[in-house]
Amino acid sequence: MDRNQITKWFKAPAKMANKYSLHVIYFCTGCGIIEVPPVITARWDAERFGIIPVATPRQANLFLITGYVSVKTLRPIIRTYEQMYEPKYTIGFGSCPVNGGMYWDSYNTIKHLDKYIPIDGWIAGCMPRPEAIFIAVTHLWTLIDKEMANGYIKYRENYKSYRRNQEMALGELEWPPLFPVSDEPRGNEQ
Amino acid sequence: MNKSLREKLESTFKDIQVAVLEENRIAVTAENHGVLAILRFLKDAGFDHLALLSAVDWIEDNCFEVCFILTCYMQNDDEVTGRQRLHIILKTKIPREKPQFKTVIGIFPNAEPYEREIYELFGIHFEGHPRLTPLLLERNYEIPPFRKDFDTRKYVEDVFDKIPFVEGKDK
Repeated sequence: MDRNQITKWFKAPAKMANKYSLHVIYFCTGCGIIEVPPVITARWDAERFGIIPVATPRQANLFLITGYVSVKTLRPIIRTYEQMYEPKYTIGFGSCPVNGGMYWDSYNTIKHLDKYIPIDGWIAGCMPRPEAIFIAVTHLWTLIDKEMANGYIKYRENYKSYRRNQEMALGELEWPPLFPVSDEPRGNEQ
Repeated sequence: MNKSLREKLESTFKDIQVAVLEENRIAVTAENHGVLAILRFLKDAGFDHLALLSAVDWIEDNCFEVCFILTCYMQNDDEVTGRQRLHIILKTKIPREKPQFKTVIGIFPNAEPYEREIYELFGIHFEGHPRLTPLLLERNYEIPPFRKDFDTRKYVEDVFDKIPFVEGKDK
């Protein structure tokens, strides 16, 4: 461990522990997932960085979306994101979640993923190298240190806008809102 | 095998054109009312595997082309007979105004998902199909999206680009 970081550990131990044990849930859409098996296995051993894949969104705090997002896969992405516990971070992997990539004029591809859920970091490229995941994670550490990786706070504060965008893309959503969306104070809700 | 099958097809059915595209590839073009009989004939002749059922939109000719690719695993296997596997491509045209066709599930049961897909993406109705329900698409499209007159760029501008970015705070 870096000795310079000892003060940080005493100041905010929970944050530091969180930062160095990112549990990842991979959303295997499209072609990006082909880069993930070498990352988590021996060649580029991701556990050096404290990254470990987990089985369910309820154990994860990093959400990696690899590859294009069609309208149909947006629904499980939102549901997965809402099931994760805070603090939670999101990374879009590849060009397609950024702005559609090569599917920019497709009839069925969501072009900008950050209209629907907040994204803390992007990895551009088609395909990015496995090392790009580690660069993204070290950048995410910096952001967590400076308290700039606040996508989940943004989601809570702007939930009305996000929910409206989600309904515009998917139509009626069959799950209840995660946060209150009405303007009424909480006590007056039915 | 190659030649005798061609002769058999031409002698059994009228109004079909049989062309040998290359070695082991035969293209059969038929009228759409005779397709089921040809499929049944080919299945009896040993082509018991429907590899693909697909459609093409020929908008200039104002028709859809439904395309069956048949092959056989056992009789034409390389290791058993020393020959390469024979593929038969059966094409038929249906008018664009009335996109209807008979289902082939009775002959090849694995045509079911293919027909649902074509129904969804091209809007070709398959009579007698037990469940033509949505398979791939989530949204409703006025024109099925794989038709040539579907303007994807305009659709993207109208639907996905209209959704605003989330900036600032909710009031």
